[in-house]
Amino acid sequence: MNQFRKSLLGLSTAVCIMGLTAAAQAETLKIGLAGPATGPVAQYGDMQKIGVMAAIEDINKAGGVNGMMLEGVIYDDACDPKQAVAVANKIINDGVTQVVGHLCSSSTEPASDIYEEEGVLMITAASTSPSITEKGYKMIFRTIGLDSLQGSMAADYILKTAKPARVAVIHDKQQYGEGLATSVRDQLAENGVKAAMFEGVTPGDKDFSALIAKLKKENVDFVYYGGYHPELGLILRQSAEKGFNAQFMGPEGVVNSDLAKIAGDASEGVLATAPKSFDQNPINEARVAAIKAKGEDPTGPFVFTAYAAVEVMANAISATKSTDSVELADYIRAHDFDTAIGKVKYDEKGDLTESTFLVYRLHKDGSKTPAE
Amino acid sequence: MNSSKLYNAFFAAGISLILACLMIGVKLDTDSTVLTVKGATTEQWMWILTGISVVFLSQLFSTQIDALFGAIPKPNIQKILPEERKMAALKPWLIAAVIVVMLIWPFMVSRGTVDLATLTLIYIMLGLGLNIVVGLAGLLDLGFVAFYAVGAYTYALLSQYFGMSFWACLPISAALAASFGFLLGFPVLRLRGDYLAIVTLGFGEIIRILLNNWTSLTGGPNGISGIAKPTLFGLEFNRKAKEEGASTFHEYFGMDYSSSYKVIFLYLVAVLLVICVIYLINRLMRMPIGRAWEALREDEIACRSLGLNRTIIKLSAFTIGASTAGFAGCFFAARQGFISPESFVFIESAIILAIVVLGGMGSQMGIIFAAIIMTILPELAREFSEYRMLLFGLLMVVMMRWRPQGLIPMKRPNLELKQQ
Amino acid sequence: MSEFSLYLLQQLINGLTIGSTYALIAIGYTMVYGIIGMINFAHGEIYMIGSYVTFIVIAGLLGMGMVSLPIILIIALVVAMFIASTYGWTVERVAYRPLRGSNRLIPLISAIGMSIFLQNFVVLSQGSRDVALPPQVTGGWSFGDPSLYEVSLSYMQVMIFVITIISMTLLTLFISRSRMGRACRACSEDIGMTNLLGVDTNKIIALTFIVGAALAAIAGLLLGLYYGVVNPFVGFIAGLKAFTAAVLGGIGSIPGAMLGGLILGVTEAMTSAFFPSEYKDVVSFGLLVLILLFRPSGLLGKPEVEKV
Repeated sequence: MNQFRKSLLGLSTAVCIMGLTAAAQAETLKIGLAGPATGPVAQYGDMQKIGVMAAIEDINKAGGVNGMMLEGVIYDDACDPKQAVAVANKIINDGVTQVVGHLCSSSTEPASDIYEEEGVLMITAASTSPSITEKGYKMIFRTIGLDSLQGSMAADYILKTAKPARVAVIHDKQQYGEGLATSVRDQLAENGVKAAMFEGVTPGDKDFSALIAKLKKENVDFVYYGGYHPELGLILRQSAEKGFNAQFMGPEGVVNSDLAKIAGDASEGVLATAPKSFDQNPINEARVAAIKAKGEDPTGPFVFTAYAAVEVMANAISATKSTDSVELADYIRAHDFDTAIGKVKYDEKGDLTESTFLVYRLHKDGSKTPAE
Repeated sequence: MNSSKLYNAFFAAGISLILACLMIGVKLDTDSTVLTVKGATTEQWMWILTGISVVFLSQLFSTQIDALFGAIPKPNIQKILPEERKMAALKPWLIAAVIVVMLIWPFMVSRGTVDLATLTLIYIMLGLGLNIVVGLAGLLDLGFVAFYAVGAYTYALLSQYFGMSFWACLPISAALAASFGFLLGFPVLRLRGDYLAIVTLGFGEIIRILLNNWTSLTGGPNGISGIAKPTLFGLEFNRKAKEEGASTFHEYFGMDYSSSYKVIFLYLVAVLLVICVIYLINRLMRMPIGRAWEALREDEIACRSLGLNRTIIKLSAFTIGASTAGFAGCFFAARQGFISPESFVFIESAIILAIVVLGGMGSQMGIIFAAIIMTILPELAREFSEYRMLLFGLLMVVMMRWRPQGLIPMKRPNLELKQQ
Repeated sequence: MSEFSLYLLQQLINGLTIGSTYALIAIGYTMVYGIIGMINFAHGEIYMIGSYVTFIVIAGLLGMGMVSLPIILIIALVVAMFIASTYGWTVERVAYRPLRGSNRLIPLISAIGMSIFLQNFVVLSQGSRDVALPPQVTGGWSFGDPSLYEVSLSYMQVMIFVITIISMTLLTLFISRSRMGRACRACSEDIGMTNLLGVDTNKIIALTFIVGAALAAIAGLLLGLYYGVVNPFVGFIAGLKAFTAAVLGGIGSIPGAMLGGLILGVTEAMTSAFFPSEYKDVVSFGLLVLILLFRPSGLLGKPEVEKV
């Protein structure tokens, strides 16, 4: 009996201690960071991580939110839709109710179904596919502009400024690239410019000589490419080798210093729609310096969109004095925020009302300047 | 310690040095736009040297190490399990116990675990399907994922365009996947061995590329989203019913809404499907056609001499295997709610094949076991997420060396002549 | 010449270039299959490693201030062939030799595992991003009427043709004339009998892997220079294409691998030329299925004799 009582006492003490530590832990608020930490697109996941971690550090340094310290928890979905569902379930399992992510639209899409259902606030800093916010979800936001906005901006530039004789629209048969390419083609067609070619390439392919020969045959002088930098880099490089000189244009997926590395001199003068370079913005000077001090790269396109996503969450939490994500979502939809990417204001769907894109001209040293 | 041992050890160490020096010892890096090489850090070189000395020593003392490993007994299922006769009496109880545990278990654990279990059950279904083709009939199929994709897209499309329910689509998915299996099987089954492997591989790729390119029907790379979840006799598991007038599960039973009901229900549906598949395949294996599959694998010419029609036998294996994948695909689409061609790439086929081979070709128990290992291990190894795939590859190689007949080899009565 | 025929010529050149490198990689598959009857799935990865080694050596030599391009290329080629052969040999020794004589699926799984392992080994050691090398061999000829269509043929493309033809010739001579080559052929006829006749078959099999890997390294160098980009995932796709080429030509037959590679390359180029290029893989796999239906052992393969 005595023995039993002793053990009971020990057990209850243990429970008390656990309860205490749990109470101490409640001072931190976990923010899920879902994106690829492994796999071929892990470098984009890194950008997101750099941004989120920098924001969390800055907020914690300033005393946290409502006395709570933020903590970033990394979930790896490897940009695989199947793993994204598993990650979303795990996030709910872990009781995390605010998520920055996911990165690839194909992962964000199935995961957003789960977050909406379970009332988890999700802000993606990188997924630009329009269909994510078209389902009328309440919990889903972005801090990045839509594909369609980017597409119309590109089409506008082609029609008004570039005015080429024959346009070809090429894409990489992926959600992001094809979506953009389709919107560019349709907008051009509405304004009476018919694309001479509309065609997909295989992502991961290395040989585009057949495609270039075809472009040459069609006498194309302007090529819009919807996709990412590895394929466009090779297309540029092989075009230069084969004496095909057209003006190329791409979306923000090609804005990466690797483009210049792959294409070399051929990358000079390529046009691209990209989010305004937030790292050049004077308001972010201190943040850029802090990231650089850690030995990380602040120039990636998703660094400051991810930073802003955390800021939006933190602002909403401190304003509502609540961590209930439904309340937060209502607040975010109704208010505007001053963030690292400028003023953020949402429409009913959870998209940014102001476009954050600009047309840039890329240079062979990897830098970019606003296009004329 | 003779000199040939020493020579071997030096040789192996030298080879490892060559392997490591350029690929690990030097790293390509771009300095603005110029490609440069960077030597590894001292720490990395220390690791390389440690690795090389391990190779050197293990070669030098290979006999002793082999003896040590030989001393570790290989797992012997036969000895653990009770005798055959006792087993027969115990079996129904055992099965009942397993089923009960599988039904009760999800209510006690977290949502993420149940979800993982559901994923495992999908792989079990796929493994069992491929087992018919590869394990029993001995036809090497590297494009099994094609049928999985057909099943998934059948449900997704029928649900999107005609609003059909999961339960109605389940047999349709299986039937359509089976007919794809039939169509593919008809011309290619006269090919032998490795030609069959490459043709099925090509077929898998063709299906994926077609799904990706046929944007008007399949949504191309955008995939299909908002696929309905299965219902329980028309009761939905959502917070609010999607259709007017329909009631949800928790409203009908007057319970509070809990998101885990849906996850648990999905899991239970998966359990049900897996039990059905196991039962059906077990019956089939005991039927003449099942015996014929194995006979054909063992000796094709003998089978033909005995008057068995090899085309029909192969086709039936191919078709039934494909229909199982169709089942799994239909369920996958329902679990996922969103599918795109990205989920049906070659590596998926390779993983399913690895499950079959790891488990032991032909052995259902083994495959279930292997599917559990293959889906849970990567989850456990998330901390080493960078090394996950590396270890996965290594595991496949090591398993083949250590236990090529699989974890739980297929059991069948046999007589062996001992070598003199 | 008309515009159409010039365009056709251009696409033919493109197709032959890519086809000849497929052929170089396909040799590795076909030789291994011919001798031990297994698909060496990790072969594409050896090609990828060859490409990486080339990049490392070229970047290193350029960094040291060496300027003579031919010397750099020759050193890169020798080093790449050496390292890739070592990898090929090790893969055979570690992952395949202990499994010889077991069910044919066993080495195949081991090979798939090895392929995944090597790919991720390179991801970890060199990173998963594209690594780019500035163009080394530049320039070329262009001919045809500029007002109609200008056909371009770069020096790099010519170099690919020439080096492929030289290596194929050397390989054919080696197989048909040398003592080792004769032993290789004997092994592919009947490995057990060859062993009885006093040939060390283990050595011959190892040699096959070494030769195959060396050819893959040549392809790695050529394609690396041609595209200027390498990442850890190129091996899988190239391996798949080369394997298709090997089967197309008749697996086990060396001239078949060459023919298969060229046919596959030209088919891909022609498909891209007249249809949307996203369908080129569908067409090449479809072609493979068709050829196998009418000639089940490939174009130049020997029909398999069924033994009881």
